[in-house]
Amino acid sequence: MKDPYETLGVQRDASPDDIRKAYRRLAKKLHPDLNPGNKDSEERFKDASLANELLSDPDKRKRFDAGEIDAMGTEKPRERYYKDYAAEAPASNSYNNRSGYADFGDTDDLFAELFRQQARQSRKAPGADLRYRLSVDFLDAVNGASKRITLPDGGSLDVSIPAGIQEGQTLRLRGKGASLAGEGIAGDALVEISITPHRFFTRVGDDIHLELPITLAEAVLGARVKTPTSNGSVMLAIPKGSNTGAVLRLKGKGVARRGGHGDELITLKVILPLQANAELEAFLSTWKPGPSYDPRQELQS
Amino acid sequence: MIITRLEFLNRTRLDQHTLDIWIEEEWLVPERADSELAFSEADIARAQLISDLIAEMGVNSEGVGVILHLLDQVHGLRSAMAHLLDSARDQTKATTEES
Repeated sequence: MKDPYETLGVQRDASPDDIRKAYRRLAKKLHPDLNPGNKDSEERFKDASLANELLSDPDKRKRFDAGEIDAMGTEKPRERYYKDYAAEAPASNSYNNRSGYADFGDTDDLFAELFRQQARQSRKAPGADLRYRLSVDFLDAVNGASKRITLPDGGSLDVSIPAGIQEGQTLRLRGKGASLAGEGIAGDALVEISITPHRFFTRVGDDIHLELPITLAEAVLGARVKTPTSNGSVMLAIPKGSNTGAVLRLKGKGVARRGGHGDELITLKVILPLQANAELEAFLSTWKPGPSYDPRQELQS
Repeated sequence: MIITRLEFLNRTRLDQHTLDIWIEEEWLVPERADSELAFSEADIARAQLISDLIAEMGVNSEGVGVILHLLDQVHGLRSAMAHLLDSARDQTKATTEES
């Protein structure tokens, strides 16, 4: 706690009149209602009020000077000032006065329109925005869907999910929020989207990634393989001699974006037969691929 | 939450006569419900502000009217400014979402 004499800026032998004058000067400068945008002045005003409370009471001042009490105030500081109410619901505040900018409305420009809007809205205060969370399937997020949210009050809210929506994106439904006492403009409903992961698709930006298992024969000889995409299956041509890790691209089978679609990227993975295969073993034990087949060439130092 | 005249006088520690003058001067404009006066928390805070102006700052009654009038304009401007900034922010957000 600061020294109350210092807070008020007076000498320790200041007369009661000096103290009153000093406090008045500070109050006029620092009163929170006269500085509605200034947090700092609110703090300083509190200090000044406490100091004044202590020093303007001759008994308390004497006891403070004698060191019997400290500078902590006893009076509960006011928690809310008029400015807080005026800022809270400017539209419903009947004291609010528009004459400070009424002349801006005469000019025929962007500001005039904004101020007209403000004047219209302040007659009927908009209600609060309401926030919801909606969990959407991976494929619904890619392809778009229509969802219905059931509200706590038993009502429901239809949400149209645009194709290609992203995790964490928020949809604003104008006028679907709360309205005040049945009249006035309703606020908005804000729906935050979370996307549940898919069993085998993953999304990277506008592209969809898929790991596609293929047989040894399909890898060596090439094949046409049925491959899932976000909107049905397609026959994918695997080129002869495709290895594990090879990436094939299905153009336009990704997520919708501005002016088109991303791609589906398919990473191949060769899977050997799960059970030991005597024929394969017999063939490989006689097979001589030649010296050019050395998969670990790059690892040699 | 509606506050009755009696409750208002209790909480602001004003006397009947002073309240009548303040209302007559239009420093306070309570609502009227069924011919009774209905005050709000904002009215109470405003009354405390008027008390502060008179008792702590030595403003005379002519000055109180001038200050309140200017202050009401400040709050009108502040809410217009807040609204303007909100609109500008929405506009910026909409533009970034589109691009």
